Amino acid sequence: MASSSRSTQTAVFRSLNSKLLIGSGLLLLIAFVAIFGSWLSPYAYDQMSVLQRMKPPSSAHWFGTDELGRDVFSRTLTGAGMSIAIGFGATMLSLLVGVPLGLLSGYKRGGFDEFVMRCMDVLLSMPPIMLGLLFLAVSEPSAWKAILAVGCVYIPPTVRLTRSIALELANEEFIEAARARSESTWYILIKEILPNAWPTIAVEGSLRVTFAILLGAALSFLGMGAQPPSSEWGLMISQARPYIAQAPWIALAPGLAMCLTVIAINLFGDGLRAAIDPRSASRGH
Amino acid sequence: MTLLSIKNLTVSYGSPPYQLKALNAVNIDIAPGETVALVGESGSGKSTIAMAIMDLIPRKAVSGEIFFKGRELTSLPSEERRKLRGRNISIVFQDPFTSLNPSIRIGKQIAEGLTTHLGMSNAQAMKRAAEALKEVGIADPETVANAYPHQLSGGMRQRVLIASALVCNPELLILDEPTTALDVTIEAQVLDLVQEIAARRHVGVLFITHNLGVVNKIADRVCVLYAGQLVEEGTKERVLRDPLHPYTRGLLGSIPKLGHRESRLTPIEGRFPDLTDTPTGCIFEERCPFREAACSEPQQLRSLENRRIKCWKAEPAQVETWPVTERHTSTSDVRSSDEKALVELQKITKRFTSSTGKLTLKTKLGFLPLPAVEKKSVGVLNEISLSIGRGEVLGLVGESGSGKSTLGRIMLKLIDASDGRVVFDGKEISDASDGELKEFRKRAQIVFQNPTSSLNPRRTIGDAISRAFKLANPQADRKTVRKSAEELIDRVGLPIRYFDRYPHQLSGGEKQRVGIARALASNPDLIVCDEPVSALDVSVQATVLNLFKDLRSDMNLSYLFISHDLAVISHISDRIAVLYMGTIVEEGPAAAVLDAPHHPYTEALLSAAAVPDEAETDKKRIVVKGDNIRRVTHGCVFQGRCRRQIGSICETTKPPIRETDQGLRIACHLSVDDLLMGQKQLAENS
Repeated sequence: MASSSRSTQTAVFRSLNSKLLIGSGLLLLIAFVAIFGSWLSPYAYDQMSVLQRMKPPSSAHWFGTDELGRDVFSRTLTGAGMSIAIGFGATMLSLLVGVPLGLLSGYKRGGFDEFVMRCMDVLLSMPPIMLGLLFLAVSEPSAWKAILAVGCVYIPPTVRLTRSIALELANEEFIEAARARSESTWYILIKEILPNAWPTIAVEGSLRVTFAILLGAALSFLGMGAQPPSSEWGLMISQARPYIAQAPWIALAPGLAMCLTVIAINLFGDGLRAAIDPRSASRGH
Repeated sequence: MTLLSIKNLTVSYGSPPYQLKALNAVNIDIAPGETVALVGESGSGKSTIAMAIMDLIPRKAVSGEIFFKGRELTSLPSEERRKLRGRNISIVFQDPFTSLNPSIRIGKQIAEGLTTHLGMSNAQAMKRAAEALKEVGIADPETVANAYPHQLSGGMRQRVLIASALVCNPELLILDEPTTALDVTIEAQVLDLVQEIAARRHVGVLFITHNLGVVNKIADRVCVLYAGQLVEEGTKERVLRDPLHPYTRGLLGSIPKLGHRESRLTPIEGRFPDLTDTPTGCIFEERCPFREAACSEPQQLRSLENRRIKCWKAEPAQVETWPVTERHTSTSDVRSSDEKALVELQKITKRFTSSTGKLTLKTKLGFLPLPAVEKKSVGVLNEISLSIGRGEVLGLVGESGSGKSTLGRIMLKLIDASDGRVVFDGKEISDASDGELKEFRKRAQIVFQNPTSSLNPRRTIGDAISRAFKLANPQADRKTVRKSAEELIDRVGLPIRYFDRYPHQLSGGEKQRVGIARALASNPDLIVCDEPVSALDVSVQATVLNLFKDLRSDMNLSYLFISHDLAVISHISDRIAVLYMGTIVEEGPAAAVLDAPHHPYTEALLSAAAVPDEAETDKKRIVVKGDNIRRVTHGCVFQGRCRRQIGSICETTKPPIRETDQGLRIACHLSVDDLLMGQKQLAENS
C-alpha cells in the first residue's frame, strides 16, 4: 500500500501551496477588518471636522482626511464590510440560483435546457453594468439592491459553467447506474453530480467574488449602489473624484484596499484550483 | 545482420526513492523481414520500448543501447534521430481516431513525410501518397487523398496510417496495438495487410499487442514482457504452444477459448507489482503459483533450446499443473432453465432521429405554416425478438455500431424502444407505472464496460454499495445495511477493508467487482452485462469471468452478456445471438452457433476469434471485405460484404429465418444445407 500513502502525501503537498497560504492569510485579515472595522478605526466613519478638511496623510490621519474632514483610514476600514458583503452576497446569490439551474439543464437537456440557455444568452448579451443599472433603475437605490443586481448579473455565467460540467458528467456510467436503480432526479443531481462538479464551481465562484466587488463598486460609483454617507469603497472613490487633483489620498486608500482584496481572492482562487483540481494545471484551462 | 538490436534498455522516471522503472534491462533483436511481437498487459512497458526506439521519451530517463543497422542510436544527437523517424523507422499508433489531424486532408498528411525527409516537391509527394494509399488496399486513392479523416471509417483510417508510415520506405515498422480499436472483421483485414506488406517489402516489424490471438496470426517471434522485464522470448510456435515461463502459462490459461465451454479459466492471482518498488528476485514471484524460496534471488535470462527465459524453475514447474483456485463448480446443473421466459423482447425497433440542419415549412394547428428543422431517422435496431429464461445466459455478440448496447439498455428501460414490447416475468414494462418500474429495477440490474466511469469518484466503495442496498430495502437499519454491504464486498472476492476506500485506490479488475457487487445489492434476477470484461487485462478478465460464472450458479441469475469477443461469449453463454447492424443474423444454443452451419457473418467472426494456441494453418482465415458503416434499407444487412451472396435477392428481399434441428435460427437466403455444404468445402480445401 506504499502507493496510496504516497498519493496522500502529494495531495497534502499540493494543498499547501504558497498561493493558497498567502491568499487565505490575506483573506482572513480582510474578513477580520470587515467584521470589526468600526471598532478598529480610530475615528467614527461619519465624524466630520471642518478644520481638518482635505489634510494630507499625517500621524493623526494615516491616509489624510476628505473634503468634509472625515478620516479616510477609518472610513476605509468601516467600508470594508459593505464592499465585501456586496462581493460575497452577490456571488452566493448567483451560485444559489445558477448551480441548481445549470445542473438541471445539463442533466435534463432537451427543451428545458434549450429554454434556460436561450434566456441566459439574452442576459449575457448585455454589458454587466447596463444590466445592473437596469435592475436598479426601476427603484430607489440601496446597498442590498446592489447585491441583488450584481448577483443577477452573475447568474448566467454560473449556469453555463455548471451546465457544461453536468453535461459531461451525465454521460458517465455511474449516473446510468443510479438511473438503473431508480434514483430520483434530485438525488442524482445533488449526490452524484454536484460532488464531482463543486471543485470547479468553487474555484470559479471564489474568483467571481472579485468581479462582484468591482461591479458593486462601479454601481456605487454611478450612484446606484450604497448611498452617502456610507463609506462603501466604490462610493468613496466616486465622491473623491472632484478633488482628485488637490487631494488624491482620498481615493487612494479605498483604491488600495480594493486592490488588496482582489489580489487576495485571486491568489486564494488560483491556489484552491491547484489544490483540489490538479488536472487543471496540465489542461491549460 | 540484425536490423534492430536493443541491449540492456532501461527506462526509469523520477529519482530515488520514488523511481519508477518502466523498463528493466530489456534485450530484443529484430532481423530484416522478421515480425517480432511484443506481448504484455497494461503497464508491462511494451509501448515504452516503441517510444524509446523513436526517441519520444526524455533522454535522461533512458539508459542502455539501441543499435539500428549497427549504428548506436542513444548517443546520437536528437536532430540525427529525428531524421531517422519516419524515414528509416516509422510507427503506427493504437487509435486511428486520434492519430490523424482532423483538419488536414489525408493526402497532405501522408505527403508530409515525403517532403520533409526526401525533399520531394508537393506534386510528386501527392502522387506518391496516392500510390501508397493504393498499396494499402484503398480502392479509390484520389478520393481518399482529398478526404478529411472524419469522412473515413476506423479501418480506413488505420490503413491510411499504415500508408503514411510506409511511404518513405522505412526498414523498420513499429505497430503499437494497431488493431485494438478496430472490430474483429476489420482487424483481420489489417493483419492481412501488414503481413503482406512485411513480406513484400522485407521490412522488420515490431508488433506490440496484448492479444495473444493476434500474435498467433502475425508473429514469427514473440517477446513476453511483464512489469518492464522480458520474461520469455522465442519463436511463436514454442512460446504459444509450449509456454515455459509461469507468466506466459498464466496468460494463456486466462484466455477463454472457443469451444472449451465447460473448462474453468485459470487466472493469475494477485496484483500487478509496484514499479517504484520492484523486488530484487523474480518480478513474477508474488503471483506465481510455483514459487519457492530460491525465487527471491535475482533471475537471469537464460537460453534454452532456441528460446530465452527468465525463470530458474521453468522446466520442473512445467509438469505441475496450474492450480485451480476458488471452487470448481459445475455450471451444467443450472442449465435446465425454466420453460417460462424471464424476459422477452418482442419486435423491438429503435430509431434515432437527428436533425439534418435544413429548415422546411410545416403546417401547424391545421393552418399555420411554421419553420421546422427537418429530421432524419436512423434505424439502430430492427424488429429484434429474443428471450432469456430463468438462470439462463444469453450472449449477444456484435461489432461496434451493431446496436448491442442499445438493446441492453432497452431491456432495462433506460432508453425507450421506438416500437415493440419488453415483457419481464409476464408483465409488460414498456408502459409500467413509476412504482412498477421501481420494483422492476430491483430485479433487473446492469454492469458496465468501463470500471472507472461506472463508479462515482467521490464515493467510497461501501457507500456506493450501501446506497444500492438501502434503496432496494428501505426499511433496513444502518447496521443491516453495513453488514449486507460487507457481505456483498466479500461475495465478489474483495477484502472487507475496501469498504472505506475510494475508487481511485482500486485496480481496474477490483473496480469491476465493485460494480458487480452494486448490481447484486438489490438481489436481482437479471443482470445486463455490457462488455464487462473488455476494458480489463486478460488475467483480470479471467477472474471476473469466473466470478460471473460462480454468481450465476449460486444465485440462479440470468445474464444478457454483451461482448464483441466471441470467445468470451462462447465461454459464458448458454445461448448466443449474433447481432449485425441492428439485426439478429443467427441465434441458438451456444454449441450449435459455434458448429456449422453458420451465417456467413458468424463464420467470419469465428475465423477472426482469437485462438492463441492453435496452428494458424489448421483453419483457413476468412477475411470479410468492406466496412461495417454502411446502413442498408432493403434486403439482407450483410449484403455487399458477404462471401456467399447469391445475387440480387440479397439486395432486395429480407432473408427468411432458417431453422435447424438443434434450435439454431439463421437469417439467410441460402438454405441450411447450402450453408453447411459451403462451409464443409472450405474446411476440406484448407
